[in-house]
Amino acid sequence: MATNPMHQFKVYKIGPEINLAGIDLSFTNASLFMLLSAVAICATLFLGTREKKLIPGKFQLVAEMFYNFIYKMISDTAGSKAKPYFPFIFSLFMFVLFCNMFGMLPYSFTVTSHIIVTLIMAIFIFIAVTVIGFLKHGFGYLKLFVPSGVPLILLPLITIIEIISYLSRPVSLSVRLFANMMAGHTMLKVFGGFVISLGMLGGWLPLGFSVALTGLEILVAFLQAYVFAILTCIYLNDALNLHH
Amino acid sequence: MIELKNFKTRLKIAKDRFKKNSIISDKGENSSFTGSAFKLGTELVSAVLVGTIIGFILDTWFDTKPWLIILFFFLGSAAGILNVIKTAKKMQPKD
Repeated sequence: MATNPMHQFKVYKIGPEINLAGIDLSFTNASLFMLLSAVAICATLFLGTREKKLIPGKFQLVAEMFYNFIYKMISDTAGSKAKPYFPFIFSLFMFVLFCNMFGMLPYSFTVTSHIIVTLIMAIFIFIAVTVIGFLKHGFGYLKLFVPSGVPLILLPLITIIEIISYLSRPVSLSVRLFANMMAGHTMLKVFGGFVISLGMLGGWLPLGFSVALTGLEILVAFLQAYVFAILTCIYLNDALNLHH
Repeated sequence: MIELKNFKTRLKIAKDRFKKNSIISDKGENSSFTGSAFKLGTELVSAVLVGTIIGFILDTWFDTKPWLIILFFFLGSAAGILNVIKTAKKMQPKD
């Protein structure tokens, strides 16, 4: 079923089955591509920081560009208080970006097109931000759910709505990344299938679309990694600078 | 030597600009809206989804099917609209 557009999202095991206390820990193609992106990130940054020149080489330029980009993003959105969290946001951005970009290679697997991957990252961010908020402000963090200047009768209703709004953060964060990646890759595959089924006569139009979509997908891959990181910054900003 | 001097002045200008930027960002001003632009759609949907799920869970707990799920669906919709308003407000340039 090579023409099935959903076939590319299939997770299969590579190598032997590993079972630890009833939990299936086998190495899959998803694990392989996560490992590949992690290795690629380490390699890029290692090569970029190996020799520090005043006039940077190619790898150093890339590494510095990433560093500056994330640094500027954090200070723009979350202020100087968020600087201790730079390593976390930087790793998060790089991981999502490299997973997305690895997905753009032919015959590869897009890790971020699976909701379980993005949801785990989003839930981790959500819990971490909540814990940071409570550590920084104590129970004063609960003021986030009680906006000022609301009549007393409406207050319980507004508080429930605010809590739902707060709980919806990890869902919207993860669904956005997952849906964008999955929709884009399905569309690429569908247009690719059209090229085959229409043949030499009519296949040129979907082929052109395919090329255009590939460019668009590379843009989306970058943009979604950026959005994921910037939203983490915005949530962190809410937890660090409590102003409502 | 002229080049080095040039470089030093350029470095100083860049550092000054950097300092100014960090002072502005300390006020908590959001200058990057590009990311927020993609929030709106999913914000609305996810809040409705979360509200409905909470309603469903509470319904199973208190055995009050289907009233809480209906109530929380509407509360979730309200939360979604609130989310969108909040995001849209963040996109507005501050006075």
